[in-house]
Amino acid sequence: MKTLRLFFLELGRLLHGRLTWLVLLLTAVSPAAGLVLYKPADAATMLSMYLANPALAGGAAGGILFALLTVFELDRARRSRTEVLTDAVVSPHAMALVRLLAMLTAAGLATVLTMLVWFPVSRWLIGAVFTGTDYVLAYLLFLGLALPLAILTAGAAYQFTRRTDLSLVLFAAFAGLSLTVWADDWQLCWLNPCVWAMSDDFTNFRLFRTAAYVRLTWLGILAGVWAVSYLCIRRYGKGPLGSLARSVRRVWRPVIALALLACSGTAYAAQPFFDNSNPDLSAMHLYELDYAEGVTFLDRTVQVYPDTRAGTLEGRAVYRFQNTSGEAWTVYFGVDPGYDLTASVDGAAVPAVRTGYEESNMALWEIALPADQEIELTLEYGGFPRDWNLSSTMQGDPEISEIYLCLENQRLFPYLLNVLPGEEGYPTTVEITLPGAMLAIPFGTSQAEVVAEHADGTRTWRYASNSTGGILYAGDYVRQDIEAGGITIEFYYGRKHQAVMEAAGAADAVRAVVDYCTEHYGALSFGTGDTLKLIQSRVAGGGYAVDGASLLNEDNFTTVNLDDRSKGAVPGETFIHELVHQWWGLGNMFDVGDETSPWSSEGLTVYTTYRIVKELYGSDYAQKYYVDQWQRDVDDYYLNFYVRHPEYLEKLPETERLNIAGSLSGVRHYSEMPLKLLKAEQLVGGEAAMDQILHNLFNREIDPMYPYLTYQEFLDACHLTEEELDLG
Amino acid sequence: MELNIQSVSMTYPNGKQALRDLDLELKSPSLIGLLGPNGAGKSTLMKLLVAALTPTAGSILVDGRPLAKAERQLKAQLGYLPQDFGLFDELTVTEFLDYMAALKGLRQPKAAIRKVLQAVNLEEKAKAPIRTLSGGQRQRVGIAQALLGDPPFLIFDEPTVGLDPEERIHFRNLFSRAAQDRLVLLSTHIIEDVQSVCDQLVVMDHGQVLFTGTPEALIQSAAGHVGVFWEREAGQEAGLHITARVNTGRGVRCRAVADTLPAYVQPAEPSLEDAYLYLIHLHTKEAAQ
Repeated sequence: MKTLRLFFLELGRLLHGRLTWLVLLLTAVSPAAGLVLYKPADAATMLSMYLANPALAGGAAGGILFALLTVFELDRARRSRTEVLTDAVVSPHAMALVRLLAMLTAAGLATVLTMLVWFPVSRWLIGAVFTGTDYVLAYLLFLGLALPLAILTAGAAYQFTRRTDLSLVLFAAFAGLSLTVWADDWQLCWLNPCVWAMSDDFTNFRLFRTAAYVRLTWLGILAGVWAVSYLCIRRYGKGPLGSLARSVRRVWRPVIALALLACSGTAYAAQPFFDNSNPDLSAMHLYELDYAEGVTFLDRTVQVYPDTRAGTLEGRAVYRFQNTSGEAWTVYFGVDPGYDLTASVDGAAVPAVRTGYEESNMALWEIALPADQEIELTLEYGGFPRDWNLSSTMQGDPEISEIYLCLENQRLFPYLLNVLPGEEGYPTTVEITLPGAMLAIPFGTSQAEVVAEHADGTRTWRYASNSTGGILYAGDYVRQDIEAGGITIEFYYGRKHQAVMEAAGAADAVRAVVDYCTEHYGALSFGTGDTLKLIQSRVAGGGYAVDGASLLNEDNFTTVNLDDRSKGAVPGETFIHELVHQWWGLGNMFDVGDETSPWSSEGLTVYTTYRIVKELYGSDYAQKYYVDQWQRDVDDYYLNFYVRHPEYLEKLPETERLNIAGSLSGVRHYSEMPLKLLKAEQLVGGEAAMDQILHNLFNREIDPMYPYLTYQEFLDACHLTEEELDLG
Repeated sequence: MELNIQSVSMTYPNGKQALRDLDLELKSPSLIGLLGPNGAGKSTLMKLLVAALTPTAGSILVDGRPLAKAERQLKAQLGYLPQDFGLFDELTVTEFLDYMAALKGLRQPKAAIRKVLQAVNLEEKAKAPIRTLSGGQRQRVGIAQALLGDPPFLIFDEPTVGLDPEERIHFRNLFSRAAQDRLVLLSTHIIEDVQSVCDQLVVMDHGQVLFTGTPEALIQSAAGHVGVFWEREAGQEAGLHITARVNTGRGVRCRAVADTLPAYVQPAEPSLEDAYLYLIHLHTKEAAQ
């Protein structure tokens, strides 16, 4: 009770200080730095740019500001010599605790104030994909919890040293580590959580869980360190060690400090988000296991139950094998390292042994099986999926929420490693029970159908496939079927993005692009069946395709990207640009020779976009908004000082150099190369000739060892030299 | 309230011995004057009594309990004005006293603040920011915070520093009234402050207690050792310690203390200051021998 009274008292005194209010106000405006200066989340989604970056910048800046305030306030009593009065009335330990609580409350106030200030700004900047949940969680985790961490750090430094200058140096060093050398270590960056992207259209709970885990771990660690420093609070005229010796006489104090350190240390070591896969990426141990002699795969039925609230998954997979060897054998599975596994054969439990080896985001399990000719092996598995440690700076992939999930191979069901397919291949039936709003989309040619609707609103989907693994997307998707290029395009995009997609004329763009590119270049290799699924995926750093399905990365369809005039004159044209990448970029991959080369997938994509737009809106329109624009950009580019004197670019500081080089590279890819292609078009005899060349290139036999389309291949196909395409 | 200081010694980490084998008994109600030259160990003793330091030897008992165990009890009953203290400049006088009242856990802080402001004549400055106060006014705020809540044990270390003569008299009377039912320990250089109000004196030097008793007893101890003389008549005797020189129309009139007064020195009635100086002089001389 007394502590509570003292707390309100200290808080009142703290809020009397002008410096406190200055820190509160500066913290409230500090997210602005995330719009211009500090942008660790480099994905192009709206939430990355206008929510993650401001919140992260606010967290870093606010943390530093509150650290300064903490040291200043802790030193104030000593500096003003009021300490001698307060210490005579209340124990310095009690005052330290109360001051900490007051500072933490002020930090909470700063967080609320900042969130109130930035709510309308973020809402306006983010637009249609803004949601309150993302906003609140991002600000609480990225900004809100940075402040107590900084307060604990600075408070501990001061209580250890009792010197303002030394405390600030210690804090600066610790914060500096987090902002620099630890910035890419998701567990060590205590001040600025490792956030590379936030999804606009789907959920970010995995990312939030990761950030929350790191925050709570560091809260424990720093609270423990603070508690140790609390024991060193100077008493009875003694130094830090003498005071420590006195303070530990109350046993609960060191016990709490050690318990905090032990718990947080355990949490650090036992993090559940990333696996311990072999860091040697060339290791292929799992794929080099000997196949079981005389054993073949008969079929597999899988039932999957994602828990979209907890982000976990439970599953049951029944494998049937035929064993003609007459001998007992061992089956190996690669299982998501976050899952546990139990096995039974014909209803009787058999030991499933986790070997301890992990590779390529799979934990190796082995199960000894009897010599029976036909075996039915039932695996019950589940848990919180772990991401590959390789992508620890790109959290969020194994998202399982009621709006989105992506289950890949070993995350969907145990991945069979050492059994050859039978005559039928790997016949598999998968059933997954999902919230009612979710569509199940097998990534490939399989089609999922609803086989049961349950009283709780969930639906069970079923699909069949025939491959060793499998990828399943599910989410609150809008599906549009579009007839184009002689096939049916199943176009799936997040419901949250519907307004943006409709404004960009997404369906028309899909039709125009598929018709045009199929006619001029040929069908996509992965769309050779009757249907092609175009699936907008959660931001993942890139797209990929398999037979019957291709991914569209969500960050290509943000409002900002659709407004990018270098890709198209209006949002619909940018949409066309991104779809053309299915041909130039994904259907045909590109090798970039060196960073000064104009050759990349963008050149042919922009050129093709221009051609489609020319067909849709006429040559005047295309000339005005494309060719003339490229020419202006290229004219400026050739006049650019650093283009004419590249040696001076090398002399600039790295950040400046990278900014300028990035800008120049953009002009080369988006304007210079399309102009070169236009020149090539004229030199080879016009559009029809160029279309034929591109058709041939697109359909050339691809070397699987080097599947890239090079600039030289293009020049050779045109019978041109690089010099002939010079624009000067 | 009763404090027993038993064989207390205090040596600082730098090796300086501030107190040596000190024994004292402090009982309420009493106003105890603590006298001693700079470095005598007064402030160290006070810091020990408010648990800002722990003795390197000996023990302090608060109502029979060791101070280490009775620290919370002591602090709940203590009003302390240190010699060197500061205030939160950004607060007003009332806000600061409210802060201290809350630290002390007072149930009716407003009434208590009103009372102490009245006692220290600071009612007019109640709402003034502390940064605007003069040195004397800040000292009065310090005294006020010590008096808050009528603690049964008051320690004042040089409380009248910075106060004008009128204020000093006011505070002397205030301390005297406070000591009617409490234990008040008053450390000062100013003999006048203790002469008129203290019922008990403790004189310290070099970490030792030289005298404990009433002011009258201290004065009595100097009887026959104080005298006056004209400077022009003075000889070269050693051991004569001049305590005052007054320029008059007839020459310089000196006042001095000595073990044995020379013949040209006319014996005089000792004052408390004479007695104190005689005691210190005697101790210094003994220490030198």
